[in-house]
Amino acid sequence: MSEPKGKDEDVRVIALLATLGVVTIVGLAAIIVSPPVKVGPLEGEIAPDFIENAYSGAEWESFRLTEAYDDRMILISFLDTDCPHCWDEGATLSNLHSTYNNDVQFITIAVQLSITGHDSSREEIEAFRDKTNYEGCYSGSQNCVNRPGSAHSWTYVDDIDLSIAKNWDVPGTPFSIILDSNGEVIWNQAQSDNHPNEDVEQALARLVG
Amino acid sequence: MMASALADPKLLLFIAGLLASTYVLSTSRSKAGVEGTVAALNGSLLFATVGLASAVWTWIIHNQLVMGDATEFCASEGIVQCGSVIGDPRYNNLFGVPWGVVGALAFTALLFLVLSIRMDVHAKWAESYTNYAWYAGLAGIPFLLYLVGVEAFAVHHICPFCTISHLSLVGFLGSVWLLKGRRENKNWY
Repeated sequence: MSEPKGKDEDVRVIALLATLGVVTIVGLAAIIVSPPVKVGPLEGEIAPDFIENAYSGAEWESFRLTEAYDDRMILISFLDTDCPHCWDEGATLSNLHSTYNNDVQFITIAVQLSITGHDSSREEIEAFRDKTNYEGCYSGSQNCVNRPGSAHSWTYVDDIDLSIAKNWDVPGTPFSIILDSNGEVIWNQAQSDNHPNEDVEQALARLVG
Repeated sequence: MMASALADPKLLLFIAGLLASTYVLSTSRSKAGVEGTVAALNGSLLFATVGLASAVWTWIIHNQLVMGDATEFCASEGIVQCGSVIGDPRYNNLFGVPWGVVGALAFTALLFLVLSIRMDVHAKWAESYTNYAWYAGLAGIPFLLYLVGVEAFAVHHICPFCTISHLSLVGFLGSVWLLKGRRENKNWY
């Protein structure tokens, strides 16, 4: 028996068009049912979720950002316990917390910038938060107990490996981002064009009222 | 909780799709010549379509989870549920691309290959396209194993819609394996 001959025309173009048609229909249906959302650290985007270990005064435990959402806004502060500016930011955050605690949830992401002398650890993060006796803050030149401001009562997340900071495009520390209660970014310190000359204190005053 | 998750009408629809694909494929074994080849191709087309649809469905779940509104799709507790799998930010994407999108793109390519063969089983390129479909399907196996490993050992939950996608790929590979066998046994036409 001789081998049957294929069709005269090349059906692959038709097959491709048919496949793309099916995919287009399925894709459009999916977009209608559930529009894709933009995830990222910029204003108007949904903040990237993360799961990392965190310290809230007792033990280091697994912490997931989206599980922390309640009916309050969220102030995310990226700090490096060895960063001199973050040393001073400790006092600013203490003051902000005492003013806005009822309306704003505070979360600090403790990073370790790739700078000589910045050598953080969980012990140092605990001491920075709690203001306890530990030589090593401020590039190793200060005892953490001397940090300006009061002890912090909110959650500190371990991001020594910078995985969250990279995902959130953090340019340096201290760095702040404010989320609404649904996790949408409503203020990003890096987007100063949207709110000229506004620092985190002024932003909270404007957003919380 | 497991029983209620498995009783989801949408999941049952996908399971029905898999069963239909398997049935169509099974009919090819008893048919000789081009009739059996076409049956095997129909089976592979169905597997690819079910895989595409289930992958897109997991993408929908992904989007709902990001918006924090997934109660319609996923139970919040139990071993068999999607929220803990598709919603886990550590494992739910490949370089930022949701796995559902990756799966949909992969099944689109597989669908194109077998649809082309189905539309002209006697074409000169049919044999090479069968091989492309085989190797493209095999390329998905490492990803499948990784994702099953994540479900079993990292997240400790099973997402049934993800499993539908995985089984679709396995079924697709089985159908292409049968097609290759028909080619090698001179039973293609």
